[in-house]
Amino acid sequence: MTRFKELDPILHSQLRLAVVSLLIGIEMAEFTYIREQTGATAGNLSIQITRLKEAGYIEVIKKFRNNYPQTLCSITELGRQKFAEYVNDLKDYLSPKKQG
Amino acid sequence: MENEEKVMTGEESLKIISEMINKTKFDIRQGSFYLLFWGWLIFVCSLSEFLLKKFAGVGHSYYVWLLVIPGVFVSMIYGFMTGRKAKVRTYTGILYMWIWFGFFIAAMVLFIVHSKSMYSVAPYILLLAGLPTFISGFLIKFKPLIAGGICFWVIALAIFFAGTDTYSLGSAIAMLFGYLIPGYMLKNRVDHDAV
Repeated sequence: MTRFKELDPILHSQLRLAVVSLLIGIEMAEFTYIREQTGATAGNLSIQITRLKEAGYIEVIKKFRNNYPQTLCSITELGRQKFAEYVNDLKDYLSPKKQG
Repeated sequence: MENEEKVMTGEESLKIISEMINKTKFDIRQGSFYLLFWGWLIFVCSLSEFLLKKFAGVGHSYYVWLLVIPGVFVSMIYGFMTGRKAKVRTYTGILYMWIWFGFFIAAMVLFIVHSKSMYSVAPYILLLAGLPTFISGFLIKFKPLIAGGICFWVIALAIFFAGTDTYSLGSAIAMLFGYLIPGYMLKNRVDHDAV
């Protein structure tokens, strides 16, 4: 199995990569939507979202809708840039394999 | 996705990226509601105006167009309700909404400009309606809607040269090919995809 230790460790994790990949194509998504799409547990997703937020990759807004708490997530400019770098790095790792 | 720290291969990373990006497609069901709602409303108004004028000799047959006013409110309420329920806002969805809102504003301006000669507004409205229909077709990658937009332009041109007597009937035909047929095809595709 090929390992990619040099890839961005924040993004090179199944759930965090899934969250950022999901947010890259949308303006904003609710926490419940991300949970449904990724199939993750609420606890695990919450931890990974916090890590992405601390790294500055995503923005988290908490507000109320119909008296219920609502958590909205969106990707930041830094997150967008890091995702693009991650995809480019990934291509670099994969392309020599394709040529061979 | 329980084990978030599992070391992934490059292929696994690409698979996750492509799977997640594919999940963020615009919900085209909203599109089919507006196409069918406005398609039927304008179709009924246009055809009623044509029939009332042609066969019943009603002088003020254009009053049927007052039905558009409650139609605007229904659209706004539907948009507000679906917007509140939405768990996600896609860029395509936002673009889709603003294109149609822009068309609504342009149509209002056109109605004001033509307020003293409303009988002549049909080709211009069809010309205008063709644009959001055509672009929406490309946005959601749906060829019948692209063809619908082209239909609007062809019919706008045809009725402009054919004369004012053809305006209401031409508008009804334009609704059939521009909104109703693509709208039902879109709805069937959504229902089929949901099975």
